[in-house]
Amino acid sequence: MSSIHNAEYQKRELPKKIQTIGLILFGVGLLAVILGYVQDSTRAAFNNIILYVFLASIGLGSLFLVAVEYLSGAVWSTPFRRIPEFLSALLIVLPFVLIPVFSNMSHIFHWMHPEVVSADKILQSKAPYLNSTFFIIRTAAFIFLWLVFYFFIIKNSKKQDASGDQSLTKKNIKISAVFMPVFAITISFTAIDWLMSLEPHWFSTILGVYYFSGSVLAGLAAATIIIVMLNENGYLVNGLNSNHYYSLGALLFAFTNFWAYIAFSQFMLIWYANLPEETFWFLQRWEGTWIIFTIGLIFVRFVIPYFGLLSQPSKMNPKRLLVMSCWILFAHWYDMYWLAMPNYSKDGVLFGWIELGFVLFAIGLVMLLFNQLAKKNNLVAIKDPKLQRGIDFRL
Amino acid sequence: MSVVDYTKELSVIEGKPPLRSLDDLISKPLETKPDKKFYIALSITLSMLGLFVIGLGLTFWYGIGMWGNNNPVGWAFDIVNFVFWVGIGHAGTLISAILFLFRQKWRTGIARFAEGMTIFAVMTAMLFPLIHVGRPWLDGWLLPYPNQHGIWTNFTSPLLWDVFAVSTYFTVSLIFWYVGLIPDFAVLRERTSGKVKKLTYSIFSLGWRFSNRHWNHYEMVYLILAGFATPLVLSVHTIVSFDFAVSIMPGWHTTIFPPYFVAGAVFSGFAMVQNVLLIIRKIFNYEHIITVDTLDKMNKIMLVTGSMVGYAYAMEFFIAWYSGVEAEQFTFVNRAFGPYAWAYWIMVSCNVISPQLFWIKKIRRSVPVMFVIAVFVNVGMWFERFVIVVSSLSRDYLPSSWAYYKPTYVDFMILIGSFGFFFTFILLFTKALPVVSLAEVKAVVDGAQPSHKDH
Repeated sequence: MSSIHNAEYQKRELPKKIQTIGLILFGVGLLAVILGYVQDSTRAAFNNIILYVFLASIGLGSLFLVAVEYLSGAVWSTPFRRIPEFLSALLIVLPFVLIPVFSNMSHIFHWMHPEVVSADKILQSKAPYLNSTFFIIRTAAFIFLWLVFYFFIIKNSKKQDASGDQSLTKKNIKISAVFMPVFAITISFTAIDWLMSLEPHWFSTILGVYYFSGSVLAGLAAATIIIVMLNENGYLVNGLNSNHYYSLGALLFAFTNFWAYIAFSQFMLIWYANLPEETFWFLQRWEGTWIIFTIGLIFVRFVIPYFGLLSQPSKMNPKRLLVMSCWILFAHWYDMYWLAMPNYSKDGVLFGWIELGFVLFAIGLVMLLFNQLAKKNNLVAIKDPKLQRGIDFRL
Repeated sequence: MSVVDYTKELSVIEGKPPLRSLDDLISKPLETKPDKKFYIALSITLSMLGLFVIGLGLTFWYGIGMWGNNNPVGWAFDIVNFVFWVGIGHAGTLISAILFLFRQKWRTGIARFAEGMTIFAVMTAMLFPLIHVGRPWLDGWLLPYPNQHGIWTNFTSPLLWDVFAVSTYFTVSLIFWYVGLIPDFAVLRERTSGKVKKLTYSIFSLGWRFSNRHWNHYEMVYLILAGFATPLVLSVHTIVSFDFAVSIMPGWHTTIFPPYFVAGAVFSGFAMVQNVLLIIRKIFNYEHIITVDTLDKMNKIMLVTGSMVGYAYAMEFFIAWYSGVEAEQFTFVNRAFGPYAWAYWIMVSCNVISPQLFWIKKIRRSVPVMFVIAVFVNVGMWFERFVIVVSSLSRDYLPSSWAYYKPTYVDFMILIGSFGFFFTFILLFTKALPVVSLAEVKAVVDGAQPSHKDH
């Protein structure tokens, strides 16, 4: 067994402003969230659902990326694997994010009203699945499962920082393998529960894959933003360069295309078959100002990132990569909003201080969480056996 | 727990064979006379091909009434075979293009063969749409050209999109395959002494002189073609899935069809590559080029894609129930417990259950076991298409016209014959061209690549 090269990593204190800005955003956001609930609890609860699926996608998407690195034996991402590891800690805050929703659930989900269900044959037939008890059990069980995998994978990775024991990598490969099927099932049913059942008559078999594609993009974009900013300011190991950036950009590009493929498949098949039990969902998103928003989705989520990341230099340029990652993260929020909000605001797009408050809350939360974890841990998995190969990685 | 050294990259080629020996080994089948075994194999595939010719002859002479198709089941073996063979082709592009973009070096030993297989599988597949129109002498009408009949092709039909998708895919695959072969043709040109052979290789090597500039251009073209082939491979099976999914037939119309068909195609393609390569590897002594590590990785991909297919089956079933639409619910219950339940359970056990054995490392690395599992997967994937097509059609919206479909001997002749067609080409390929890329394999031998560390 060859010796593990000691990468030159010196932990440096992160600038104070991360915490300050994070606290301000978080505070302002929280205030808006509370006022939002006071003023219009249904609208706030819808925003809260968007917040939940948004944070869950970053957390799950990041954990998925960590697991894929272990499973595929990829080396290029090892030097900055810690960043998605930190981001997957968002899974811990998910139960807290849901508390206000649980107290307002019947405003959001039609199928939770017994009188609505008793008048609706279709909802009656769905009742064994769509009922409040089972819904809460499912959500709790999913979050619990995610936390179990989060806990084990991250624990092993951090342990390796001290011991450098290669068998920990092996262990994580095994845990990641078990995580994959659990991830596939839980993320799909999360999409069905929290997005599809908002319009309980609608159904689409691909929605789980749709949410998955967006989640990977969200996790990847959030990680890329942090990685680029840290690396450009010298907080990571020396030797990370455009080859690594290119790989991140290429993945963002690939998943942007994958999202478009899935979204197109869903739209195309429903439009072509033209069955009223399916088309009404798209028609709702064609009402009033929603039509602009819906057409905008194609540009926001596909056309702009596609052309923004198409060429090789654009993937290698840290500035471009940073801008595009921020954009993709915004596009993910836009998409989640598009999936959820038309069920609340039927006539047109609704954007006010409540919506903005939830966004600020999310950004502040991610910043504070990252700052906290970055203080306690190394920003680089310093004794990962693949680290040196990762730093030496060239296209 | 066995200790793997994660600080080092695994070698793609076992041992450190001299480059010369690789050239000798890979070009040996081309430089020696075929032996008895080859002729026996060829006579088998040619006999199967003979069945194909007879089956088609009967079909064209008497019409497609020779098939088992009946009133609700107007589409059966013809489209099942088409989808099956197109699917087989997908592994080639996945291995040669998508794994190339993902920088998976282990693909090197198997890429050339898989690409070749793509071409033959797509050729086999393309026969079926031409046959199943019933009057193949009118196939020309599929092409949109101005004509005196005032007939214009139906651009809103996914069957026409198939014509474009499959023919584009075939063209790009062929170019991709040929571009990869150019440096190898040049090597063969240098090695051979026969006049005709030399002339042939010279023509096809396009004046390749191994210069730095040639390699530079070659790598650029290869990358661009890989970039083109990747969306194409997705588009082909997506459009094949549209053949079904744009309709309103329960069991056909479901939004997950496109990615589910693509995953299934890659799954079956890998199984076919696995089956044929295991034989070639043994006969040609390529055990150190197509290593057990490589096979292990292929099995992992089969496990992943097989599980994706299983996910799609489960999701379809769940949403059929969840939708509350009676016709949808009936179709899925009918699939699992109706008259075609036997086909459904063959499909589930072959496609979903058997690849789960690949979770066990010993099985992933055992050549005989993986061979058997790959056969199961091929059978299962054929049945998947059969289940989708036949079980839905035989019991659709109108119970008064339900009927049971039974294939005739002509159906079976054509099915067996298509294997004859495919394997005849495969056999000729193994004797006519290097089944492993000479240039690429030499580039991944340990020590062939410069490294910043002294290995």
